[in-house]
Amino acid sequence: MNATSVSRGDTARDGRAARIVVWDAPVRLFHWLIVLCFAGAWLTADSEHWRLVHVTFGYTMAGLVAFRLLWGVVGTRHARFSSFVRGPRAALRYLGSIARRRPEHYTGHNPAGALAIVALLVLAVAVTASGWAAYAYLGDSAEDLHEGAANAMLLLVGIHVAGVLVSSWLHRQNLVKAMITGRKPGAAEEGIRRTWRGLALVMLAAVLGFWWLEWQSAPTGLDLAPLAATPTAIVREPGREGDDD
Amino acid sequence: MKTTSSFRTDSRRLTAAAWLAGALVAPAVIAAAPADLLDQLTARAGAPPVPERGERLFTTRQQRGWSCASCHGAPPTRAGRHAATGKAIAPLAPSANAARFTDAAKAEKWFRRNCSDVLGRECTAAEKADVLSWLLTLEP
Repeated sequence: MNATSVSRGDTARDGRAARIVVWDAPVRLFHWLIVLCFAGAWLTADSEHWRLVHVTFGYTMAGLVAFRLLWGVVGTRHARFSSFVRGPRAALRYLGSIARRRPEHYTGHNPAGALAIVALLVLAVAVTASGWAAYAYLGDSAEDLHEGAANAMLLLVGIHVAGVLVSSWLHRQNLVKAMITGRKPGAAEEGIRRTWRGLALVMLAAVLGFWWLEWQSAPTGLDLAPLAATPTAIVREPGREGDDD
Repeated sequence: MKTTSSFRTDSRRLTAAAWLAGALVAPAVIAAAPADLLDQLTARAGAPPVPERGERLFTTRQQRGWSCASCHGAPPTRAGRHAATGKAIAPLAPSANAARFTDAAKAEKWFRRNCSDVLGRECTAAEKADVLSWLLTLEP
């Protein structure tokens, strides 16, 4: 905790304790927007009132995943697939080190987390592609696949969150906070030089712009009235209108 | 050689007959399914369905502002229009759309989803039987 008193730019004597930037801004924004999209789509999945909102969350997720796949090739160091995707053997070894309570240290994603990330990305592609197919032209025949992929994704999200909590506890570092601030303790040469904040702003603008377009092109507007309406507003009883007060 | 060729002709005829039989029987099998589902629902309801009650339930706007007809149209022998997305919905009446109510699990799933949207609760077996019995009276 001494490292927190070291001001930014100072070279800490103990390099490992200094906080370095590991996650660039687009990676962090992607993560939390995906959380929002998945949670939002899950909560709006069962109602036709919310169908457009559900579809909008899904299309947003598809766009975000497309960006992340690209960013995994051209992005910053710890965002690149080549830096964190390892085989199942590495994941097992890492899980073994966790079981022995002597977790191997990784500045970026650990191999087990990386496996979850790859599986989540694959499932996100399956969920959005099948959802689009069901919504756009296939109807029910694509829906079983859509629901199956979404359930599998929820299960994996649960595993991912559990893994993050266990790792945070064992490594004595708040990985959730790291995904917000982008900072982790580590050696200076492990950090990234640019955070690409401008690109994150462009991403955010693109997402908000897409939502605005979806809102504008909704045929009946987003029909939120039925959910807010009180029964008296819908059931018109003749003769009651004048003497409501 | 003659036997072989006549065998071939026979097998071809047999195939054609099988196709024809299949084409004739298949719609009959599918058409039987909505009635089967109605039987199941009626058995669960414990009373015979009332088509008029089904029509009233289908076309009455409920407290949440929607009726079944908001999306499926009235009468649902024609394509409907989704009340929120504006997308076309294939006709619901089995006479206009042979695929409807041929899969009990699918029918139950959509009853569950759509009743929640319209009524804010699941429909009873009696309500489902009423609606289906009314849909089965509709001619295209």
